Amino acid sequence: MDAQGHEGFREFVENRSSALLKTAVLLSGGDRHAAEDLLQNAFVKAAGRWQRIDEPEAYVRQILYRQQVSRWRLKWRRRELTVAEPPETTAGATGGGTGGADTSSATELRILMRGALARLTARQRAVLVLRYFEDLPEADVARILGCSVGTVRSTTHRSLARLRTLAPELAALGPADAEQSPSRDFSPVEARP
Amino acid sequence: MNMDQLVRDALHEQASEATATPPGFAGRVLAVRRRRRTRTLAGAAVAVTVAVAVGVAVPVLSGGKDEPRLASQMNRSDIIAHPDQTPPRDLIAAGDIAMAAYWTTSTVKETPDRGVYQRTYHLLDQETGTYVKTTKWSFIAVAPGMRTAAVLEKGLPAKRIGLLDLLTGEVERWITVDRAVAGVEFSPDGSKLVATTYSKNPDLRYRADYDSDGDGKKNDWETRFGQSDRTGFYVLDVDSGKGSWSEVTGHEEDLNARQDFAFSDDAKLVYSGLTTEPHMQYYDFEGKEVATPVNEKYLHWYVDARLSPDGKLAAGEFAGGAKTTASAINDPYTGRRLHKIPGQQLLAWADNKRLVAWDIASGTNEFHQRLVLVTIGSKKTVPLSGFLKGNDGAAGRWEPIFAER
Repeated sequence: MDAQGHEGFREFVENRSSALLKTAVLLSGGDRHAAEDLLQNAFVKAAGRWQRIDEPEAYVRQILYRQQVSRWRLKWRRRELTVAEPPETTAGATGGGTGGADTSSATELRILMRGALARLTARQRAVLVLRYFEDLPEADVARILGCSVGTVRSTTHRSLARLRTLAPELAALGPADAEQSPSRDFSPVEARP
Repeated sequence: MNMDQLVRDALHEQASEATATPPGFAGRVLAVRRRRRTRTLAGAAVAVTVAVAVGVAVPVLSGGKDEPRLASQMNRSDIIAHPDQTPPRDLIAAGDIAMAAYWTTSTVKETPDRGVYQRTYHLLDQETGTYVKTTKWSFIAVAPGMRTAAVLEKGLPAKRIGLLDLLTGEVERWITVDRAVAGVEFSPDGSKLVATTYSKNPDLRYRADYDSDGDGKKNDWETRFGQSDRTGFYVLDVDSGKGSWSEVTGHEEDLNARQDFAFSDDAKLVYSGLTTEPHMQYYDFEGKEVATPVNEKYLHWYVDARLSPDGKLAAGEFAGGAKTTASAINDPYTGRRLHKIPGQQLLAWADNKRLVAWDIASGTNEFHQRLVLVTIGSKKTVPLSGFLKGNDGAAGRWEPIFAER
């Protein structure tokens, strides 16, 4: 990297790292340190190709997602997470069906949901972040993760089902759109060791 | 509310709580990149010869698949400072180096007239990232990468050198030696050890027959000056534990009681400090006196920082005045002063532009020091630790050991 590239890269990191960190935090299930590591690795990779990248942000985002779903190599990361709620499910925290939740139970549900999201596999979480945080259509999710649309669909389906298992209080919620039409794709999904 | 909405809300809420990246994140990324490139290059060059050693001694190559992670690697922040801690409890690091351990000292009386100057180490626990006291060892050196330390047991000089795994706290292997050693030091790449042999414990202290510190009491301990029990050195291959011993004689009157050998920058020679001119003497691995390498002519054995990682700058001596502190950065080949930077005593290079130093708070005395990060071309210093307490030799003082992280 020449001096100009160096300056451009530094500027990019300074301007965009906070926004990209949000994605990294979600992908890491709320583990801030893991998120910084993930983002740092993505930036280091981007620095290596800096002068050949047309859209740096899209490139870094893609690395973030792909890195996260192929994180077998980082088994040490699977340490205990700090979540706002004890892992045991809390009785009586149900959400009141399809839209009747008051503010406090909505907050409780979000806390439960975050705890459950943190316990999904990296791949499951990545698909949900792309679908529900980035609001991307299935085809774009498939392109970013380098898999088929069918895999995206089946992974979404299984991830939502897994969330319900992890937090039974979520059972009362109405089904998500993705749950209305079961997928026929049975591509293997990463199993959490 | 349905699942879609709740997942969406929970993710957005979590994202909104994620605060900004730490200051200097770009610098940290670039530092990691530089380090990885250097390691990859170094690894490629030495892979054939040290492949077996990597797991045990020094992770020269970048991390493998299942390599356990060290606390010093998990927190990769460019600067990890604890200005409120003295002595430090939690990992201190800057740039490419971290404080691997620190030691405190005390003189333990053995007879009414003789004592032993004893080091108590606080070694970085690579599992927790904290400094943990250990009274097991009388001497410790830490390898670059901070995965392994070379340790000597109590009762110097010792007949074996332990290779301690800093992650597990267990000695992985012992290297036994015929001649007893009292000091060890790793080569800059961690593949070799130089172990200094002594016929007697070099840390013995004798009761002074006068009031050395002027406190009105004759209770001071001192070394026997001008008398050396040093016999020579081993250069040992860390991986195999094999090596040879070389006898070194001469300069006996110009040595401190403990005057350990250390490697030259290219690890092809060893040197010893001398208390008189020319202050340093180099030796080949057979113990023969050789000329000082041209790039080390202007180094001083008591300035720990020595050459910058790229070899272009030499850490120099104190360059301050009566009430100010400063240190010199010199051209290693000519000795010409290139920069004057803050810092009372330069301890280690954090990268090619920054060093860790002891420095005082302005207006205080020379013993009221703390670790700081100084940058060439800048008057600003970044405090890394709290201030030392007491005067030289008093309780509350500690000495850091740095290693490449």
